[in-house]
Amino acid sequence: MEETARNGLAVETRELTRSFGVRKALNNITFELPEGAFLSIFGPNGAGKTTLVKVLTTLLNPSSGTARVSGYDVVNDAVELRHHIGLISHNPLLYPDLTAEENLLFFAEMYGLKDPKGRVNKLLADVELDHRRLDVTGTFSRGMLQRLSIARALLHKPDVLFLDEPYSGLDPHAMDILDGLIAQIRGEHTFVMISHDLDKGLELCSHALILASGKVVLFEERQNIDVRTFRETYRATVGTGVA
Amino acid sequence: MERSNSWRQFKAILRKDLVMELRTKEMVTSMGLYALLTMVVYQIALAEAGDTFDVRLVMPGLIWVAFIFMSMLGLNRSFVHEKDQGCMDALLLSPVDRPVIFFAKFAGNLLFLMVVELLSLPVFSFLFLQGRAGIGNPIWLLGVVLLGASIGISGVGTLLATMTVNTKGKDVMLSVLFVPLMYPLLRAAVGATFAAVIGGPGTVQTFWLFMAWVAGFDVIMVLVAYGLYEFVVGV
Repeated sequence: MEETARNGLAVETRELTRSFGVRKALNNITFELPEGAFLSIFGPNGAGKTTLVKVLTTLLNPSSGTARVSGYDVVNDAVELRHHIGLISHNPLLYPDLTAEENLLFFAEMYGLKDPKGRVNKLLADVELDHRRLDVTGTFSRGMLQRLSIARALLHKPDVLFLDEPYSGLDPHAMDILDGLIAQIRGEHTFVMISHDLDKGLELCSHALILASGKVVLFEERQNIDVRTFRETYRATVGTGVA
Repeated sequence: MERSNSWRQFKAILRKDLVMELRTKEMVTSMGLYALLTMVVYQIALAEAGDTFDVRLVMPGLIWVAFIFMSMLGLNRSFVHEKDQGCMDALLLSPVDRPVIFFAKFAGNLLFLMVVELLSLPVFSFLFLQGRAGIGNPIWLLGVVLLGASIGISGVGTLLATMTVNTKGKDVMLSVLFVPLMYPLLRAAVGATFAAVIGGPGTVQTFWLFMAWVAGFDVIMVLVAYGLYEFVVGV
């Protein structure tokens, strides 16, 4: 990676704080995630998970503290950083009045891809939507939208892929397809995933983080996590009003 | 590493908006229908004015009232697409300078507004000017004032529509902010249109005086909108 200080870290935050009025959605968040890792972020509703991902993806500015993703500062290097990150959300982030192909070609243009058509063709084949390329995405099922959303997020081959509750609203078959797609690209990216599903999150992750009331309650490598203790910590966090 | 290019991004956003509008026809249809219905209401309102009443005296005001309210309908629609399914986030996630988004959305809104305005004028002429005195000055002057005022409407409107799309009651919010800001432009546009329509000695000079006012408004407001856009979509 050129002209950046990554130090082997995909994500690095220092006392990251984001306030909305007097409420601190993120409160002194500090952690480091190595390249190639898979971080699962857990926490109750309102814990600050989505705010954290929005700050790390440059959609929100922090109120104080710093964050670097892929070696780029989220505030000072925001435009450059956007070349290196992708986001898959529970929202498909696709235009319902454009076809699958038009959607991907539009975003390929936005990222300045040299061979947009070729890349779009490959990704449509990868997510098995080649046969629906000319259909407007407003007619797609939730599972198909999510697959196309993955193709959109991978267009520019991001270093770090953010997943905001990607399994939300998917039927079991669509979840299997998403699992397969994530497994396929697992070695090529760093992942940061928000999840409400402890089993799924722990199954996929190399690192786990519990957020509550905007604070880090636990940040640990998966290999050091005892699942029972982790569950108890999570329940205590959610159940005792910490959250 | 592949690099994005602002001109390519501008074209992509504008093309995307054109394709979606050609497919759905939401903006043009809603604005066109509003303009048509307003003119029908005007015709009813002026039905008892009689043949001696010179409609040209009130025509500029009637036209611009219709166009201002019609534009608010279209401006609101132009950002509903971006709001649907979180598309605005996807756009903001891409490595695009925020002013590029502003200018592309502004260009799209200007184009759609001009199309409906140009289609509305013959209808207005058919309903009100048949068998009466025509336009006093060359008709291309009307095109100049339409373009000049539409630039200001689209520039300010694009900024305000971005600001209000996430608010509750966005339609009301847009009107509350838009109409007061449009007052100086509206006044100048009505003055220029009046000079163009009435004709006679000195009206061309008056027309260009008002157009200087319109141009000044356009430059200032579009620059302000451009400067504020990053803040508005950010953070």
